[in-house]
Amino acid sequence: MKEHRDEGIVEELWKIFSSMKLGLVLLGLVALVAGLGTVFPQANLEPEKAKAVGQIWQTLGFTQIYSTIWFRLLLGLLCINLIICSIQRFQGIYRRTFGLKPPESASTVPNKMNVKLTGESESLKKSVHDVLGRNGFKVTTTESNKGWSFIGIKRRWGNWGSLISHISFVVLVIGAILGTTMGFKGFAMISAGSTIPINSINVSKGTVKQDFSVHIYSAEDRFLANGERDNWYTDIGIIENGQEITRQTISVNHPLTYKGVTFYQSSFANGARLIADIKEQKIPMVLQDRGGNYFQAPGTDLYLIVAAMKNDPQSPAILYQVYRGTGVEPVQTGQLNAGQTIDVQGEYKLTFEGSAGFTGLQIKQDPGVWVVWLGCALLLLGLMLSFYWRTMVVSGFFESGQGPDGELTMGAMAGKVAGRVQKEFDRLIHDIQAK
Amino acid sequence: MNQGLLNLETSAFYVMLMAYTLCMFFYWAWMGSKKDLMGQFATYLAIVGLIANTAAIILRMIIAGRPPLSNSYEFLLTFVWGITLVHLFIEYRYKLRSLGGFVMPISFLILMFIIMSMGPEERIAQAIPPALKSKWLTFHVLTATLAYGAFAISFGLGIMYLLKMSRGADNKTNPQGVISRFPDLETIDELSYKVIGFAFPLLTLCIITGAIWANYAWGTYWSWDPKETWSLITWIIYAAYLHARLMYGWKGKRAAWMTIFGFAAVLFTFFGVNYFLPGLHSYASSQLISIV
Repeated sequence: MKEHRDEGIVEELWKIFSSMKLGLVLLGLVALVAGLGTVFPQANLEPEKAKAVGQIWQTLGFTQIYSTIWFRLLLGLLCINLIICSIQRFQGIYRRTFGLKPPESASTVPNKMNVKLTGESESLKKSVHDVLGRNGFKVTTTESNKGWSFIGIKRRWGNWGSLISHISFVVLVIGAILGTTMGFKGFAMISAGSTIPINSINVSKGTVKQDFSVHIYSAEDRFLANGERDNWYTDIGIIENGQEITRQTISVNHPLTYKGVTFYQSSFANGARLIADIKEQKIPMVLQDRGGNYFQAPGTDLYLIVAAMKNDPQSPAILYQVYRGTGVEPVQTGQLNAGQTIDVQGEYKLTFEGSAGFTGLQIKQDPGVWVVWLGCALLLLGLMLSFYWRTMVVSGFFESGQGPDGELTMGAMAGKVAGRVQKEFDRLIHDIQAK
Repeated sequence: MNQGLLNLETSAFYVMLMAYTLCMFFYWAWMGSKKDLMGQFATYLAIVGLIANTAAIILRMIIAGRPPLSNSYEFLLTFVWGITLVHLFIEYRYKLRSLGGFVMPISFLILMFIIMSMGPEERIAQAIPPALKSKWLTFHVLTATLAYGAFAISFGLGIMYLLKMSRGADNKTNPQGVISRFPDLETIDELSYKVIGFAFPLLTLCIITGAIWANYAWGTYWSWDPKETWSLITWIIYAAYLHARLMYGWKGKRAAWMTIFGFAAVLFTFFGVNYFLPGLHSYASSQLISIV
């Protein structure tokens, strides 16, 4: 008794999830929630504004809507719905493509688009075959004691378009899951001349498992002759086990990939090469323009930043500021020209050597990206097949009358877009009659 | 340096503006008067406008040395081009001149928007940030132009359908009325579906090329920025339209409303997102911020 009830529940669930109405409702909900996410400031795009939103909305996830459990649940339910719908439709599509059987009587010929022709059996059969064959139909014929019948199909892959495009959505979601669970995403601001191990970068998602290093030979902000920015260029080398494996110049839109890790040029900042001389110990550093980073001299509570920078290649100059502890006001400020050395609070000497570029690199590993492209390709293929490669099926039944003559009932499956099919059907009939 | 070319581009823009504006009035005059001469004028003016529009786009391309698809002004110029191109094709192919009376006002309003809200500094060819220097951008915006152009047409057809339907009774009593120039309801409905069937795969392609480009430029194929999200919402609306039509036989009035609804989403994806919502695409609002 219990077993029967369980089966009932499974069947019930299957029935719910195989409904296209549910799919449309879910799709509508996805659109609604996605739209809400453009009204509420999102933490990843506007962190400051997102924090200002009321606490209750934040707790409910409205400021990070696309990564909330319930948005993912929606997508998950949609996937289940699509999979179940596809499974259910597969057999039918298969039958309508590969399992076509000629009609068994004149009444089973499609009757929405239907024509009756009279003529001599053999010549009619020949002209049907000729005309359909010439028009790209694959024809199957059977003979019976009452007469003969045929069915012809053209552009048979069109039947699969809808199924392929629906499955592609599931493929896209799988790709996205692979990307989030198996990859990482990070960012590094690296000065020209330095080498950093890949696993030391700041990651916002995932962990870095690779253990090679990157060396930045140079970072440049290049301009065209007319004064417009050309692009940012970073000359980057990959070092593994002390050996340089590869070296390449990357720029925005032209990334470098090594062992599945891709380096994207994403920003650029000017910086200054400085040397701090603390008790005969020389410490080189590169500080970023506009206080992007700071230097704390070892053994002191002095913090040095580069507040502004003049990037003239002939005579670069910086405006530096020194802070002590958590003090708000700088304890020392001044301008430094290239080659100049000054004393900082009697603790160390600072020399400005010249300018250096900082390259902002987005570093990412996304093993799911190829699955996503596959999903995109399937989606397009599916849509092309559905809209531009519509399957056409014509069939007919010839009923012998007295002698060799008889009546051929011929019809076409009208499908959803009747107009084009009707035209093609009329042309076929015209050609058959002309023979 | 290119002063001559710049002047020529400006002239092309104003010729296009005049031609499109006049052509809108001639389409209306034709619908009202039924004088074939008026209709012919309207069509010829639309062709003249399209030629001037094409010239403006090509000149901009020569001046900027890149595809003219990098700020709001340039995109709107190609959007109007897409609308007119698809419209002229439909008018010629389906002998549907009355459509012009509903489609050309969209182009006209977009051009008015350019004139009223964009200063000269927003209209000139500007330097583009490195992220926009990609061949994918060309495909991305070109598919958007054609898809959006076609959606504008389906919107015009939707309005025609609803007008004809609501005046159905008058039509019988007044065979001389404007509405009598419209084809029958079923033809409008079927055509609207065809146009969306053409545009939907293009919109899909537009979103996909955008994703490929974003992956090259930023290392993320999808980051849920408002533009992406709204293009997805637009896509979902048209996907719903297709499902409702093919599976539940939603035709006629409900389908016509959906085409209007869908085009509203198209417009919001462009105007609403560029001017009301923030995001990665904000360079499109012709303020060239760096993408840091």
